[in-house]
Amino acid sequence: MPANHAGRGQVTDRGRLWLRRPAWPVRAERGPAAGTSCGRGPGLPGRGAGAGTARSPPTFPSIPRGASRIGTEGTQASAADDPETPVAGPATGDREAAAETAAAAAAETTEAAGTESAAFAVELRDITKTFPGVVANRDVSIRVRRGSVHAVVGENGAGKSTLMKTLYGMHRPDSGTILVDGEDVTLRSPADAIARGIGMVHQHFKLAENLTVLENVVLGAEPRKPGWRRLLLDSRQARTRINEIATRYGLDIRPGAYVRDLGIGERQRVEILKVLYRGARTLILDEPTAVLVPQEVDELFGALRDLVNEGLSIIFISHKLDEVLTVADDITVIRRGTTVGTVRPAEVTARQLAELMVGSELPSPEISEESVTDEVALTVEGLSVDTEDGRRAVTDVGFTVRRGEILGIAGVEGNGQAELIEAVMGIRPAATGRVLLGGTDVTAWPTRRRREAGVAYVPEDRIRSGLLFDSPLWENRMLGHQTRPPNSRGGLLTPSAARSDTRQIVAEYDVRTPSVAVAAGALSGGNQQKLIVGREMRDGPTLLVAAHPTRGVDVGAQAAIWDQLRAARREGLAVLLVSADLDELIGLSDTLRVILRGRLVAEADPRGVTPEDLGSAMSGMSRAPAVPSTPAVDTAPGAVTTPAAAAAATDGAGPGAGDVGDTGDSGDTGAAAEPGEDR
Amino acid sequence: MTVPNPTRLLASAGAALAAPLLALVTAVTVTVLVLVGSGSSPLDVLDTMVTYAQRPRSQALMVNSAVTYYFSAVAVAIGFRMNLFNIGVDGQYRLAALLAAAAAAEISLPPVLHVTVVLLIAMGVGASWAGLAALLKVYRGVSEVISTIMLNFIGTALIAYLLTPERLAVRTVGSNNIGTPTIPASGQVPGISLIPDSRLQVYGLAILAVAVGAGYWFLLSRTRFGFDLRAAGASEDAAKASGVRVSRMIIISMLLSGAVAGLVGMPQLLGAAHTFSLDFPAGLGFTGIAIALLGRNHPVGIAIGALLFGFLDNAATSLELRGVSRDIVLVTQGVIVLSVVVAYELVRRVRTRAEQRDVARRLAATTPAPPAPSTPQEVGA
Repeated sequence: MPANHAGRGQVTDRGRLWLRRPAWPVRAERGPAAGTSCGRGPGLPGRGAGAGTARSPPTFPSIPRGASRIGTEGTQASAADDPETPVAGPATGDREAAAETAAAAAAETTEAAGTESAAFAVELRDITKTFPGVVANRDVSIRVRRGSVHAVVGENGAGKSTLMKTLYGMHRPDSGTILVDGEDVTLRSPADAIARGIGMVHQHFKLAENLTVLENVVLGAEPRKPGWRRLLLDSRQARTRINEIATRYGLDIRPGAYVRDLGIGERQRVEILKVLYRGARTLILDEPTAVLVPQEVDELFGALRDLVNEGLSIIFISHKLDEVLTVADDITVIRRGTTVGTVRPAEVTARQLAELMVGSELPSPEISEESVTDEVALTVEGLSVDTEDGRRAVTDVGFTVRRGEILGIAGVEGNGQAELIEAVMGIRPAATGRVLLGGTDVTAWPTRRRREAGVAYVPEDRIRSGLLFDSPLWENRMLGHQTRPPNSRGGLLTPSAARSDTRQIVAEYDVRTPSVAVAAGALSGGNQQKLIVGREMRDGPTLLVAAHPTRGVDVGAQAAIWDQLRAARREGLAVLLVSADLDELIGLSDTLRVILRGRLVAEADPRGVTPEDLGSAMSGMSRAPAVPSTPAVDTAPGAVTTPAAAAAATDGAGPGAGDVGDTGDSGDTGAAAEPGEDR
Repeated sequence: MTVPNPTRLLASAGAALAAPLLALVTAVTVTVLVLVGSGSSPLDVLDTMVTYAQRPRSQALMVNSAVTYYFSAVAVAIGFRMNLFNIGVDGQYRLAALLAAAAAAEISLPPVLHVTVVLLIAMGVGASWAGLAALLKVYRGVSEVISTIMLNFIGTALIAYLLTPERLAVRTVGSNNIGTPTIPASGQVPGISLIPDSRLQVYGLAILAVAVGAGYWFLLSRTRFGFDLRAAGASEDAAKASGVRVSRMIIISMLLSGAVAGLVGMPQLLGAAHTFSLDFPAGLGFTGIAIALLGRNHPVGIAIGALLFGFLDNAATSLELRGVSRDIVLVTQGVIVLSVVVAYELVRRVRTRAEQRDVARRLAATTPAPPAPSTPQEVGA
């Protein structure tokens, strides 16, 4: 156990220090990334190498706590990886990988030559953008080399979109400069950005379905017929230009087809074409693969390569590490609104990238003492939940949460956790199954009755579901608790009592506000969240249902909220915690469950599991049929060295997890990593 | 916790007055421009209106119009607070007035009870007519805007069908008009001599209007139910998460709105006309929308708005004598509503921004600057 604690503690140092390391052995790490470019299916390619790093168990316990293990680990990791090199070698032989390596080399030469900023298609310097109530960008700097794919990665809410909106002229930064082709520019609108050759392909396509591809592409920038027929669209000229662009960049499209008849991949090409038609030299692609199936992703990546070879630059926004490692020439990681580093895919593993993204410098939300009791607070049995459109979002889920226990539900968003929580809260009806509060069946109870029975709720989206933005803080303190003192008595509100109680919450939970009469919308996101947590904890709940309690809040507020959760847990609060922040889940939870496609697929012991293990279980990586099944949990580490493991990168996570489990005390982690072992 | 400091207080008072002042200045400016454009002298018009306002009779007229408008505007405002747009107040009150008039003429009860029963009937009819729209919204997802407009038309047709000599109406002696039989004295509400020196009395139901206004304020600001309703109106998701059953709130608030709408025709019916005839005033429901907007859904604001509209309506008659078109008054009313809506929105935005800045400043003052983010390091470079 101590070993594991040490392991986790060190994440901190590792995350920060490895950046200072001059470089990674390119050869060893290159393999997996190249491996995925052959077929995206299995995903998370870096896992192979990542797991390799974690794989050498002897090194783990031997490192004393607090020691700067980074350097050591790095070298050891590379050493450990060495045996794989022969395997990785052939993979690296892949044409693309070779090209990329060459490109990287070329780029380095360019930089070495000191061609300064003109070498960059786009450069963002110290961009700061603040919004009231949301995470802003703080001193973000990104340099996009001309003719490269530059990935911007970060978790949801890390500030990627804000940054791209700044670059696309949708809003102006508070400070900082934007340089396009080395020239300082001010972008007041997307039109300005387009004029400067910056185009954006939105995640959600903005196409008119009942128009043809040609019409969609020229919409708003139509070529007109000459002379008196000025009002007419010159479709011939449009068609010629579109075909020209399509041929040049290898985009396969049919100008005459109606957009409504096109598949998603084709629509995306139309979007790209639309941007190119307007003369863009730098393309921003906002999570372009989110909507694509694997084959389409491969096609897209092929197209991106062609664009780059033609000298265009691409900014690729994503949070999918495998894709980023496959397609990008440079990767900039954004966390909590600021850039934490720029790396080359050749030099990092998915694991290292994940660490950068998830953040290890943060105060680790560790729970030390054991407080779990035997008293069950919440039981969920065979719960299934349907969405409004009749889709089954949660299938046959069952678990219990005891008093003093924090049960963490890990999962990629959209796998049913929102519906699960809403069903527990009674906001959404259960299709089948039961929900019991301390033994009482509450399945048929409305939300209010459950809340009155001592269930507190921190909703996923505080802006939509947690607060009344235009109402003062004290009215927001009432929200959800309006049936009880100090907010009301006998059906009548008691505003003065509520106000003074709100003042106490403000003081106790360090909500920074001039007064409790301020509208909730005026507070920053972190303070809003502290108010929500404060009001939910205030009435002495027995169960707290919390979804992403620290999403989009600053580090200070995060630490404060974690402290509150810990304190409440000590006093016997049962917590059902859904989060996308793996550090938070691992650090706070007593028990971890993984939700995938509406089912609880795995259980993990937070004391032994690493973010990577959890990550692969969450993404169902090991489910992919293409992946050769990995050895069971307790198989010897040697298993990893099998060529299959290295080639099919993904499954590396399995053994990796197993190893950590070995060093720890249970095989739970292994189970977490292998939910889909062809069972 | 917060120490009230004089400048802050002054600033907040200024903020509270900013919107109405801005609206007033805009409305006056535009009206003057319209008057000048149409060739009349703004000063003359002002003079006429001031003179008119000083006459006791016109003051009584103004209050009487305002009482009717007040019910209508409160009915609309209840919907607004729940984020529902009840455009159907018009149909609701006319149907309610017809059926209440017919019932009042039929039944015979002691004086106070008679009026009470008639009022309850009117409220019931209004509530049911509005309830149809609520049910359609909750169970079939039909927007209340569409359904209440349609119900207005259906209501008009229904009234035309019912108000015939074969059914509810009788011919008025010595005229072509038809209407329900006259309500007996026990069902009539006597006027109050509110304005001194005026022969014209004010509707007795003005007292009911005050009561409705007070009840509206109390219900919304002081009761848990009102909080639920406001929460549901402000954010459906947040209300749901807090345990409010939103569909139930839709039905209840629509029923309340309809019930108050049912009262709109009552002052006229029970206080003056004593019969529902073909020339019973129509269109009051739409005026109510304007006044609810003008009064910002606040009971006192609505009262001021209702009095203003009542004054302008009646002043229009005296303006016509001076050769100023009656339509000028309509233009003025429209301009007032528009400038109020725009001014409040503007002031709200400015205030929100100021508030956010204030919060941010405090945040900056109370915390040391956030730790400098680790400078981005480029590994490969």
